[in-house]
Amino acid sequence: MVTALSILLILTSLVLVLLVLLHKGRGGGLSDLFGGGVTSSLGGSSIAERNLDRITVGTGIIWFACIVALGLLLKFS
Amino acid sequence: MLTAFVNAFKTPDLRKKLLFTLFIIALFRVGSVLPTPGVDAAAVRRCLDPVLQGGSGNSIYGMLNLFSGGALLQLSVFALTIMPYITASIIIQLLTVVIPRLEALKKEGHAGTQKITQYTRYLTIGLAILQSTTIVALARSGQMFQGCNETIIPNDGILTLATMVLTMTAGTGVIMWFGELITDRGVGNGMSVLIFVSIAAAFPTSLEAIRRQQGWGTFIIVLAIGLVIMAAVIYVEQAQRRIPVQYAKRMLGRRAYGGSSTYIPLKVNQAGVIPVIFASSLLYLPVLAAQFNQNAGWAQWINANIARGSHPVYMIGFFLLIVAFTYFYVGITFNPTEVADNMKKHGGFIPGIRAGKPTEDYLHYVLSRITAPGSLYLGLVSLIPLIALVLINANQNFPFGGTSILIVVGVGLDTVKQIESQLQQRHYEGFLR
Repeated sequence: MVTALSILLILTSLVLVLLVLLHKGRGGGLSDLFGGGVTSSLGGSSIAERNLDRITVGTGIIWFACIVALGLLLKFS
Repeated sequence: MLTAFVNAFKTPDLRKKLLFTLFIIALFRVGSVLPTPGVDAAAVRRCLDPVLQGGSGNSIYGMLNLFSGGALLQLSVFALTIMPYITASIIIQLLTVVIPRLEALKKEGHAGTQKITQYTRYLTIGLAILQSTTIVALARSGQMFQGCNETIIPNDGILTLATMVLTMTAGTGVIMWFGELITDRGVGNGMSVLIFVSIAAAFPTSLEAIRRQQGWGTFIIVLAIGLVIMAAVIYVEQAQRRIPVQYAKRMLGRRAYGGSSTYIPLKVNQAGVIPVIFASSLLYLPVLAAQFNQNAGWAQWINANIARGSHPVYMIGFFLLIVAFTYFYVGITFNPTEVADNMKKHGGFIPGIRAGKPTEDYLHYVLSRITAPGSLYLGLVSLIPLIALVLINANQNFPFGGTSILIVVGVGLDTVKQIESQLQQRHYEGFLR
């Protein structure tokens, strides 16, 4: 059980990192960290981007559930 | 002030943005206290308590732990927080000066910046893998908490360790995404809001530690000093030199363009807190090197002089590094040649100064003189926690001083300004009068 969950967690972690990297980066690095100009990006996101969001959120929920479940299992085993 | 808050929540789109930001912040905090599977959370707690209360222990992790709001030493899922992203941004920022291809990308405008951001994100994940491996290795060998003999990771099979490293890496990815979501759909710049949250989350613990150790008197004094420093920091952060720029009127078709007079705002502290972060991470390097071979002569000198923040050698080095980095960073971010060029292209000039080369020289002159007090101010403010450490024997992470106060005030001002500009679109009075 623990092994299966660990493997699932590893897989979801990898997928999650990939999905996050697929997103278009917003906010250009350090120049607007800590008090740069006020830049508001207009324009909605495309359908591809929206679907990507949905998949990322889904994977994120599975990832989170895995962490909690694994943590509880290890604690009471 | 209060009516402004009410108005902010009355405006539908602004309310949506504020609630979204709060929701992400809540998720971020949950992840910061959720222990990574495989870590014995109870053992970590037992090891952590003396560090939080005594405040003596390891000052090495002070800086890193400050940014993570306690998440690092708890070995939580978000233990790395945005540190990898900050490091990656700094590295890329520095590399743009060195590597011609990156410089070309930067000049390309929007598309180029997007590409640089994408590189930064890849580098962030790479750094996250490295750092999470380091942290897991440190925790496993028991070096994370010196003088604490608990086994933090009870079962150190290869599968458990791999799971931990990957979970922390994915956590960093998620934080990066959170930051971008806040920038995109929430209020303020996501990354800085998340740093703000981490630092602010550490305030109650440090204040509580001071109250317990030193009593109510010192506690109130600390609070008062904190407020005074905060006011002073806001005063300097808002200070700027306005260089007037006049744009020539010109006709395009039947319309008249330009003819307006604006100004270039040159802030006294143009560099923000970046120099402070640079300096402290640079001073952290020799300490790290000394950890690997502790018996050498130079390592012992480092351990005696630099490892503790209260030593004069450390203070002087810190101060000088900050002043140097301020000049360096302002040099990177504000390019007088570029500004002068742009002004010339659009028919703008500074009254009394010719366009082109003289303008460039003038901007350079003003900038280098305005940066002098700015850099001294940065150095002095970041010395506050170190001096306070000596004066009242508080712990290293004295809540009101140095980096934390600069970041908190800077981000706070920025976010409030952004909310304000949104409010003004609907003709409400804002927070700042």
